[in-house]
Amino acid sequence: MLQGGIRNQSNIIVLSANTTRESGSRVQLANINAAKCVADVIRTSLGPRAMLKMLMDPMGGIVMTNDGNAILREITVKHPAAKSIIEIARTQDEETGDGTTSVIVLAGEVMVEAQQFLEQSIHPTVIIQAYRMALDDMIRWVEDKYSKPIDVKNEEELAVAVKSCLSTKMMSLHMDLAVKISLDAVRSISVDKAGYHEIDIKRYCRIEKIPGGEIDDSRVIKGVVLNKDIVHPKMKRRIENPRVILLDCSLEYKKGESQTALEIMREDDFSKILEQEETEIRRQCDEIIQLKPDLVITEKGISDMAQHFLVRAGITALRRLKKTDNNRLARVTGATICHDTKDLTEEDVGTKANLYEITKIGDEYFTFITSEESTAVTIVLRGPSKDIINEVERNLQDAVNCVRNVLLNPRVVPGGGAIEMALANAITEKSKSVEGVRQWPYAAIARALEVIPRTLIQNCGGSTIRQMTALRAKHATDESNWTWGVNGVTGELVDMKELNIWDPLTVRLQVLKTAIETSVMLLRIDDIVSGTKKMSDVNNK
Amino acid sequence: MSSNENLLALLGHRTSGQSIRTQNVNAAAAIANVVKSSLGPVGLDKMLVDDIGDVTVTNDGATILKLLEVEHPAGKILVELAQLQDEEVGDGTTSVVILAAELLKAADELVKQKIHPTTVINGYRLACKEAVRYIQDNLAFTVADVDRQSILRVAQTSMSSKLIGSESEFFSEMCVEAAELVKVTESNKVVYPIQAINVLKAHGRSTQESRLIHGYALNCTRAAEGMPRKITNAKVAVLDMNLQKAKMHLGISVKVADPEKLEAIRREEIEITKRQIQKILDAGANVIFTTGGIDDLCLKQFIEAGAMAVRRCRKVDLKRIAKATGATLTASLATLEGEEAYETSFLGHAEEVVQERISDEELILIKGPKARTAASIILRGPNDTMLDEMERSIHDALCVVKRVLESKKLVVGGGAVESAINVYLENFSTSLASREQLPVAEFANALLVIPKVLASNAAQDATQLVAKLRAFHNKSQHEKASAHLKYAGLDLINGEIIDNKEAGVFEPLVSKIKSLKFATEAAITILRCDDLIKLDKIDRKPDEHDECH
Repeated sequence: MLQGGIRNQSNIIVLSANTTRESGSRVQLANINAAKCVADVIRTSLGPRAMLKMLMDPMGGIVMTNDGNAILREITVKHPAAKSIIEIARTQDEETGDGTTSVIVLAGEVMVEAQQFLEQSIHPTVIIQAYRMALDDMIRWVEDKYSKPIDVKNEEELAVAVKSCLSTKMMSLHMDLAVKISLDAVRSISVDKAGYHEIDIKRYCRIEKIPGGEIDDSRVIKGVVLNKDIVHPKMKRRIENPRVILLDCSLEYKKGESQTALEIMREDDFSKILEQEETEIRRQCDEIIQLKPDLVITEKGISDMAQHFLVRAGITALRRLKKTDNNRLARVTGATICHDTKDLTEEDVGTKANLYEITKIGDEYFTFITSEESTAVTIVLRGPSKDIINEVERNLQDAVNCVRNVLLNPRVVPGGGAIEMALANAITEKSKSVEGVRQWPYAAIARALEVIPRTLIQNCGGSTIRQMTALRAKHATDESNWTWGVNGVTGELVDMKELNIWDPLTVRLQVLKTAIETSVMLLRIDDIVSGTKKMSDVNNK
Repeated sequence: MSSNENLLALLGHRTSGQSIRTQNVNAAAAIANVVKSSLGPVGLDKMLVDDIGDVTVTNDGATILKLLEVEHPAGKILVELAQLQDEEVGDGTTSVVILAAELLKAADELVKQKIHPTTVINGYRLACKEAVRYIQDNLAFTVADVDRQSILRVAQTSMSSKLIGSESEFFSEMCVEAAELVKVTESNKVVYPIQAINVLKAHGRSTQESRLIHGYALNCTRAAEGMPRKITNAKVAVLDMNLQKAKMHLGISVKVADPEKLEAIRREEIEITKRQIQKILDAGANVIFTTGGIDDLCLKQFIEAGAMAVRRCRKVDLKRIAKATGATLTASLATLEGEEAYETSFLGHAEEVVQERISDEELILIKGPKARTAASIILRGPNDTMLDEMERSIHDALCVVKRVLESKKLVVGGGAVESAINVYLENFSTSLASREQLPVAEFANALLVIPKVLASNAAQDATQLVAKLRAFHNKSQHEKASAHLKYAGLDLINGEIIDNKEAGVFEPLVSKIKSLKFATEAAITILRCDDLIKLDKIDRKPDEHDECH
């Protein structure tokens, strides 16, 4: 407890009474423990023998997952350092989509390795310098020595990377399907325009979850799937090669923005108003009908009167779409989203869609608008329950991101802890030539890296010490053995070239960077003051 | 507390005389203690947690103190002192607080020896003046324009104590380049408006992958997907208005008798905006930034014209964009004649405006603006806490770079200046035959706190190192032959005395002088107090009549 840092005769209160402060080595040890605790929570969800965690949120809902980020997101932690650690899972997820568990486990281990040096009174800045040095070396080695390029045109080589990503997930039971889905999806949305290679998963690859059926029924739809039904029962449920108009205005009589009041003096004025409202809608519909579309889709509402006019003209209409869906539809059909029916021209009509169809799945109607050349896709997921579909969704998202990473940076590194072992070996070698005290923390990174293969062995119930020693020997005896790692299913040592497990370079590199940089930040802290002002309050003043 | 308590009309406590002085000094010392361990290249960081659990990790004295809830009035003065240093200089916030606290401690001792506070104050003023003069005459040196290496060194010194210390080479390059990019020559005076450098944060990747962008980066996206991603040879219109359906002000209602007119009003509402946009597009604009919104109905107009429109930008950003591209920030299209017009001269120019994906976010980059060069720094790092701290460090570094580029005057760091003044003032004090002799000598002693804290943070033997350092400076000031020793400072990694000019530990002169002056002034302010009256909080009982029933 601190009350002003000094306690002399007249107890002066300098800081506010509800502030608590901890400093010195206690803080450093507490930070290390916090990191370790977080890492311990998800340690068992690493590797192909990973177990799921079931989490219950305060509302009573459940989440079942083995995705590091999804687990930690649900956990409420108190310790500030633990919060920082949890945040890196999010960073990893956003940046690469995969490797969230590894990053936490590695960060925890890197912190733990620092503990012994702090106890030996080595200054944190020295440890930090050594860690930084190790990180720089590792990045260089991984890029130069321990990775191999792959041919992105070759489906099989791509599939290998996706497989190794998925093998730790629940979807590993449906491996071929998942690989096919993710490859198809990413291939379709990848576009090159004006020298800009774009793979925008967030916008153009949507996952539509429909409970029911089997996981094997999941597929990629080249186009858009909407949880919508036609507005009027007489409208068509299937049109081939439809002409599509996309709107983001309502086909209703709108009020103006300014406040207007109308004073009606005569009786026929009243009917005139009603008539006018009708003609206005009539005009809107006529403007649409003129272009002879088969399908009209809008983000806003369609009034009964407009429906009537459209049905009479043989036009099918859908209403109340999301903006994002409309954007995707624009990409599928080639139509321009139009705000005002008055502005509609022939160019705005989309003709690229091949098929429009509404089918009933389970209890609900779903609209499919598809096109062979579509650059927007929807992945339709089926499964026995909502929780399972949610987990499948997370898996697929990881897989899709994995494909994107490989396409953008076509290099892969061996999985199964092989890359970590190779780096650990290289660091141990190099550490002998590092001068001064820094040598020890530098070498410690090698020990920290071994946590990945070690955890893999642990999770499948292998004999940790025996296998680790063997693996270390394997790497130490010959440089060319850098692809040897752990078979996460059996716990045996295996050459990754044979097992064919390759992770995208981006993912593994990001794991190293994030884990070490976060530890560096946490190691620099020697003081925790809680109960301070809010940053936003300070800035508002 | 005494019998005169009842004489005061207000309810409260009064403390006076020596006890309040000691109390103030103790409070100042407590504040200094909080930040002490973050000084110097081997100083560590503080983690601050607020009531809702948000975390800030920082090494910056001003930020630490800003977030602490300091209640003691004397403590608050020191907090403000740090803030002042932050605004004026940007760097050296920790050292100024430590110095002020040390000055107070010394003054308190003197007053206890029955030297009147005013004498102490006079002595401090004199000492400060003398010290500043000495620094300017003897310790400062000028850097040539081309000496980029020295300027890089200054940035590195500023960053050395921070989280990004190990990458200071990388970031110092970035800071110096950014500062040079925004250089402006105004009537023979070169200024570096570093606030024009936009620092953006995006988490992901590693710190080394932070980027400097020649141009302005804007944390917004295009209003519609249909707009082009990239526009070369951009003509930029910068607006501060809504491009939404025209709307009457609140409270004004239009009364119409003819129902036909009602529809006309509605049409006109849309048409007004459309005409406005058409005017802007007709002027040749192909990139439009606005602080307000753009109605969906207008987006199509932009898409058809192949223009990029960005809505809801921050006004500060737009002001800078306007400056960089040479555009005029237009708040309304109205002309003096009552017409609406948008002239081509309002447009700014840039080589390229492009929307790029960085991490999960998309940013709009304005590259190669015509009127003025602009720079943006995109910081990358593992999490938000770290990014915030990086931003603060970059800001500090930019501030010192600006100072150096503008004044071209440097001093060496690592406790060299403080020790030199210490030796000088001690000699100077012996030449004074008045009462001020003692305070001047104490002032000199107080300065040693900086090298002492530096050494003890690095876990070195502070007493021995500082003694050595003083010996060096004494020699340099008394023997002509060893005048070069005046640059002797501490090497904290190895615990030796080295020539810091050779080692390249530089600080801007302005920052040193200002922190000396600020610290002295703050100490004097606190020293002048001899009475503290603290009023009790009046608990206003809720009036029964006011309560709701």
